[in-house]
Amino acid sequence: MSSTHAATASSALPSDTSTAAAATKALTVGLVGLAVTALGVAVMPDRHGPVMSYLVGITFCTSILIGMLMLILIHHIVDASWSVVIRRQFEHALTSFKWLFVLFLPLLVLAWVKPGFVWPWMDLAHELHGHGTVGTDILYQKKSGFLNLHMFTGMTLAFFASWVWLSARLRQASFTQDSDGDVKWTFMNRKTAAIGLPIGALTLSFAAIYWVKSLEYHWFSTMYGVWFFANCIRGALAVGVIIMIWLWDRGDFKGVLNTNHSYSIGMLAFAFTVFWAYITFSQYFLIWNANVPEETFWYNLREVNHDGSTNQWWYVGLVLLFGHFFVPFLYLLSYKHKVVHSKIKPIMWWILAVILVDMCYNILPALKDGHGDSLPFLSLNLLWVLTSVVGIGGVCVWSYLKSFPTTKLIPIRDPRITESLTYHE
Amino acid sequence: MAAPSYGLIATFDTTPDLHHAAEKVRDAGYRNWDCITPFPVHGLDKAMGLQRSIVPRISLVGGIIGFCTGTSMIWWTGAVDYQLIVGGKPLFSPMFAFPVSYELTILFTAFATIGGMLFLNGLPMHYHAVLKYEHIRRGMDDQFFIVIETRDPRFNLANTKALLEKAGGKNISELEA
Repeated sequence: MSSTHAATASSALPSDTSTAAAATKALTVGLVGLAVTALGVAVMPDRHGPVMSYLVGITFCTSILIGMLMLILIHHIVDASWSVVIRRQFEHALTSFKWLFVLFLPLLVLAWVKPGFVWPWMDLAHELHGHGTVGTDILYQKKSGFLNLHMFTGMTLAFFASWVWLSARLRQASFTQDSDGDVKWTFMNRKTAAIGLPIGALTLSFAAIYWVKSLEYHWFSTMYGVWFFANCIRGALAVGVIIMIWLWDRGDFKGVLNTNHSYSIGMLAFAFTVFWAYITFSQYFLIWNANVPEETFWYNLREVNHDGSTNQWWYVGLVLLFGHFFVPFLYLLSYKHKVVHSKIKPIMWWILAVILVDMCYNILPALKDGHGDSLPFLSLNLLWVLTSVVGIGGVCVWSYLKSFPTTKLIPIRDPRITESLTYHE
Repeated sequence: MAAPSYGLIATFDTTPDLHHAAEKVRDAGYRNWDCITPFPVHGLDKAMGLQRSIVPRISLVGGIIGFCTGTSMIWWTGAVDYQLIVGGKPLFSPMFAFPVSYELTILFTAFATIGGMLFLNGLPMHYHAVLKYEHIRRGMDDQFFIVIETRDPRFNLANTKALLEKAGGKNISELEA
């Protein structure tokens, strides 16, 4: 592609009239979703279902945002060039972190008002199936320095504080560079990335452990943080591709985006498909091979009932194996499927859908019946998962669309912008 | 030159000259020809009308063979040839066959990729007709060449020479085979 791109792009400020209407629509849809979820909590006889589904929704949306944050940080630390054109969209999306914090608050308040309602270990009197209470459980006692309400609250506040702080720094530096073109902002971002990457890695791992893994606090898995990271990045890349194609179809990205950008982001999505499979398989394989009851029970819950009959989660596990790995892996092998917009878009939506199923698989089996078996996958809870995702996602999209018209479409004065616009494999 | 001829070589001074000339040669329908450049020229593959390489397909075949080899090896050694129960596990499970299958998938894919690449580009090649051309070393420094081979069905000494001249080629000369 020719060198006139920089000139075309510099005059391109995205039009805000169309996005303002879309933002209002997203907010409306989001609020309706949240209202329906709240209604579910209010009217359902067992309120655990809708609340846990809400946890699925907020974990899913937060994971995508964390993935975007990590991708920007990685972009800066390795001084990447091709991804400059898509980085700005991730920066816009990062504004949602503060809203995700607001949306997480109900769960935090619930943890104080009704300890043990979502995370059983918060209630020391909570009856364990067949062996006493949480408070008398040696596995809890040994972990209680880590698993207690104060730590949970403090850590959750620290997670959001780090994410909001890192996002604000990245956004401010990148947006200011648009107007003054000072290269110091690039160096500032590189420093942010150097401290932000370890912070990001630790916070996302601990978030996964506190919010999701601790639902079954007996369990051990050293792969859990990495499993969550893999989903974060896959979700962020999928949304990134969807935004790229949306901007292309709108006309904004004509003359900005070329085949090689699609190919590169498609290759990353492919690579992280393999990465997810590697991590998820390793977790399963090590537990299967070692065969230690403290570890295998987590998968047993997701495969069989107490009487030995196969439960629905077994099939969900197979859906993950084939849908989260084999389908995207085989599909994305093809060059054409990575560069033709109409071919890459459906698989990215598919990946987002299976990430959501993966979150369900990790969270919802913590809901148990009288025998200690996991409640089935196919239930009304799926409706609450959907309304939660629409609700929280709607707020995130609204936040993104509100930030979208405030800056140039791409970081026009980034030192690597020409290299990115003329990017060639 | 009485000896059998390999083809015609033409010299170009700049990348745009080469690029446009390549488009003309491509549009004239030649198939057995090549460009010689000191460095990779972006977009030249398109100007030459080159398709994407078929190496990835060879890689895929290698990968599938690797996966099947790994799985069947674990199955045959564990469940057929020397049955031994280890850790209460079944004699065969895709679970423990997977790490080996996956390693062999990568290994065989790598072999197929490198082997396929070497097979398709004919390397290592100890002799090539252009090496006899006296100015060929400039092709590693600051000049660009197009070579059209006589084995091309459209090759015709006079017409091909005229095409290269029209495309802006200089010092057009015949290469000894």
